[in-house]
Amino acid sequence: MAHFDTEYQRLEASYSDSPPGEANLLMHVPEGAKSQWHHIENLDLFFQRISFNIPCLLCSKNGFTCMLLGEFFELVQLLFVVGFTVFLANCVDYDILFANKFVNHTDSSKVTLPDAFLPVNVCSARVQRYNNAFVIFVLIISGVFWLHRLVKFIYNVCCYWEIRSFYINALKMNMSELPYATWQEVQARIVEIQKEHQICIHKKELTELDIYHRILRFKNYMVAMVNKSLLPVRFRLPVFGDCVFYTRGLKYNFELIFFWGPGSLFENEWSLKPEYKRGGNRLELADRLASRILWIGIANLLLCPVILVWQILYAFFSYTEVIKREPGSLGARCWSLYGRCYLRHFNELDHELMSRLSKGYKAASKYMNCFLSPLLTVVAKNVAFFAGSLLAVLIALTIYDEDVLAVEHVLSSVTLLGVCITVCRSFIPDKHMVFCPEQLLRVILAHIHYMPDHWQGNAHRYETRDQFSQLFQYKAVFILEELLSPVVTPIILIFCLRRKSLEIIDFFRNFTVEVIGVGDTCSFAQMDIRQHGHPAWMSEGKTEASIYQQAEDGKTELSLMHFAITNPQWQPPQETTHFISQLKERVHREATGFPEAHLCPSTLASVHFGRDSYLANHAAAGVSDGASALRSLSPISSSLHLRGSLSVAHNKTSTMSKAMAGSGTDARTVSSGSSAWEGQLTSLILSEYASTEMSIHALYMHELHKQQSRGELSRHTWHRQESDESSDSLPEEVRSQPNPHSRNFPRSHTFPTTVASPSAIPTSASASRSKTIGQEGGSRGKVVRSARVPMGGWAEDGQAASRHHDPVPEESSEDEMPPQIQKVNSLCV
Amino acid sequence: MNCRSEVLEVTVESRQVEEAMLALLHTILLHRSTGKFHYKKEGTYSIGTVGTLDFDCDYIDFTFARVSSEELDRVIRKAVSEFKDALSNSGSDGMGQISLEFYQKKKSRWPFSDECIPWEVWSIKVNVVNLANEQERQICREKVGEKLGEKVINVVEVINRHEYLPKMPTQSEVDNVFDTSLKDVQPYLYKITYQITDSLGTSVSTTMRRLIKDTLAL
Repeated sequence: MAHFDTEYQRLEASYSDSPPGEANLLMHVPEGAKSQWHHIENLDLFFQRISFNIPCLLCSKNGFTCMLLGEFFELVQLLFVVGFTVFLANCVDYDILFANKFVNHTDSSKVTLPDAFLPVNVCSARVQRYNNAFVIFVLIISGVFWLHRLVKFIYNVCCYWEIRSFYINALKMNMSELPYATWQEVQARIVEIQKEHQICIHKKELTELDIYHRILRFKNYMVAMVNKSLLPVRFRLPVFGDCVFYTRGLKYNFELIFFWGPGSLFENEWSLKPEYKRGGNRLELADRLASRILWIGIANLLLCPVILVWQILYAFFSYTEVIKREPGSLGARCWSLYGRCYLRHFNELDHELMSRLSKGYKAASKYMNCFLSPLLTVVAKNVAFFAGSLLAVLIALTIYDEDVLAVEHVLSSVTLLGVCITVCRSFIPDKHMVFCPEQLLRVILAHIHYMPDHWQGNAHRYETRDQFSQLFQYKAVFILEELLSPVVTPIILIFCLRRKSLEIIDFFRNFTVEVIGVGDTCSFAQMDIRQHGHPAWMSEGKTEASIYQQAEDGKTELSLMHFAITNPQWQPPQETTHFISQLKERVHREATGFPEAHLCPSTLASVHFGRDSYLANHAAAGVSDGASALRSLSPISSSLHLRGSLSVAHNKTSTMSKAMAGSGTDARTVSSGSSAWEGQLTSLILSEYASTEMSIHALYMHELHKQQSRGELSRHTWHRQESDESSDSLPEEVRSQPNPHSRNFPRSHTFPTTVASPSAIPTSASASRSKTIGQEGGSRGKVVRSARVPMGGWAEDGQAASRHHDPVPEESSEDEMPPQIQKVNSLCV
Repeated sequence: MNCRSEVLEVTVESRQVEEAMLALLHTILLHRSTGKFHYKKEGTYSIGTVGTLDFDCDYIDFTFARVSSEELDRVIRKAVSEFKDALSNSGSDGMGQISLEFYQKKKSRWPFSDECIPWEVWSIKVNVVNLANEQERQICREKVGEKLGEKVINVVEVINRHEYLPKMPTQSEVDNVFDTSLKDVQPYLYKITYQITDSLGTSVSTTMRRLIKDTLAL
């Protein structure tokens, strides 16, 4: 009270420094902007940069310094490639190098490298004289390109600096613990930050899904478009058959057209242009899009020589050394760009995808190696033998006397023979390899989570292998495709993509939702089972999606599970929670039916072998054998061992294993509390748990899906017989699908063929049948389950027709449809 | 975009455009202005008073309250009359949009100019109609008055929601949040822009600007 008294006295005293009358005013204390991280304009970019800069061990991203150094060296590399090429072309006297011309040296007879270089003035004269226009043109182009990159680099440095200070000041992570941070941790902190600083002004709290949506806005669209087979990346060529062509150049062009190029569909990073949200003038918009694609295609065609030269040079400089050092690397495989798109979940960050695929790499290459042709092996063995003996002699001679090397072409033949042997060796399978494609494919599935239905039970077939090789291609093929890309890209753009413009316009209109606080996102990325669930993937009865709206291959369901497992703090909407808990419950029940010690393998074993009639032939191998094989193959078991050892060491583990075996793994929050290294260890283990849990769920869902499709098969085949006469296969044959000699090779929707093969597996039957029907004339749409939700924009008949894009205006009934943009309220509330 | 946007639509006769725009802009600015801040040494400040003034419209049956600051009024009148002229000169069917954008400045390092980050945008879409006779004009006069009254209530409702506002700044940062150039009142930093229907589509310059920005960003 005394305090107040003094205050009053001070007021009465009326100090002279305040303006008259002011003393009676209320005094305020400014909150001030304690940090500059309130209200960020472009949250998309901001979050993207944050996620790019996660320098954790789990993901392949490195810290700021590495990123900057990497970009810096890219700049230097560019300069070097151009400079060196010009130098090689103009400033080297090859006659001297090949010793066709003698140098008149006075002091020694040795030819040194500098002798082969032309003097500077001769050199510059040659640059100016020779193929003048072309060289100058290339130099100018690359100069402009380089300057552009330089500006970008400087811009990036500033951005990185900003993000770095965000990490330090706002997220309160110091530089020493940053290398041990995981994305989950950073994300949790961002969610915290929002409460304090309100970086997003639309809502009080950010959810994990909001952040993911912002980071992956465009990638989700790409995944969805690949999932719905909208992008022209699969082709049927006369000689090569069914093949996939999807390169970085093509991807860049797609993104340019859809997302950020001039006149793209998106107004800015977060919203689709309003005219694309209305169905009214879709035909006109499609025309406009088609002409844009044409222009971009032509631009590509014009720039083709430049890009081609660049690609060749770049490939030459970056791969020659590797090929010389280890020629086997060409025979190694990598996940193709298409594979990455096909296998990606909705809302899955780059590093999550990569770690998942890397885990599956070993099994996948083992699987591919199963299929080496015995004929080729025999040939390869013999070629390797002859080449080897020649090489051995040459090497022995060289060791005896080095002068052998000076004989013309000895060194080159040694190199060639070495390459030859290495190539041959890659065709000779490992002696200890066991042919068990079915199990291997299971193990692969546990990591990659997606595969077309018709692979099940067909793992031993070459068709499956070929299709798998589209996802998992040779490095050499990858390089070759990249080299071809500048030529093929304009063709694809002009002839294939342009035809799809109407479908693309419809896709963006129908599958864009405006989420408050996020902007326009792909509605598939909401992972709402009701809207996009596929009845054959456990969302039977829950989904209201028409065939057009269903995501293929259980993408919605699997993505949902994946997201829920990787982000245990995320609170999905009511129905979704129900779905997740129900599924977890089922998996858990299945899992606990077996002895604790064998939890993972036996679940898998039961999932794998329990009902697989194909494997009945392999009964000799036995279930337990299979299980143990599986255990040795998959890291699932290693995580199990890890868990076992951990339970001895820690007391915490009991809770963890419970979390692992059962419901939501809230245990992962533990990581934020403990010290840096321990936190790192725990989060490593927990992320391992998460991936294991996801693997189990994925396998379980696939298995359930298979059962369900088998169950429905009889109904469907019976139903089909009367409705679809064009079927060229007998239902009996379909039913005995595991029979390896069966001619009919059922295909699923995402691996479509132009052959009107009736898809035997009803999951995709509905979808792919509508496709088939569309090809047959688009009149039989009613065979398919009637559309329950007409909001997809297309009635079933219209769908069949417009899927195949006839430019004839339809009964523009859907033109009057209201815009398909629903306001989706924030999901967490 | 990380900002709220509110849209108001009015249909008026051509001579009413100016007053209608003034009414709406002044109403919004009245609620987005504070008195001048007087900072004290201890990091506290006192807020001056904001005088209000009733303004009677000539062509509309409407009276609105505005901040009694001649300077602010001059600025807004200038923007509105420019808009009116552009609208009458455009010769199109008389559609236009005037937007009032509140933003924050963010100081950036030397090579870049300060970033202006909007946090609230009010777009007022105007539809100009031509009326045939005096009687219709009389009806219109009343109806527009009623409509404007509704809009004003609407604005007040929006402003009353508990939503993001920039935090009160310290003395050094006051220029980043408030427009301190006026001597009797201190509105949040604002910007008035207008568009006539013809140019509603993205113009070439904005496309180019975005292209450059995008390439930098990617």
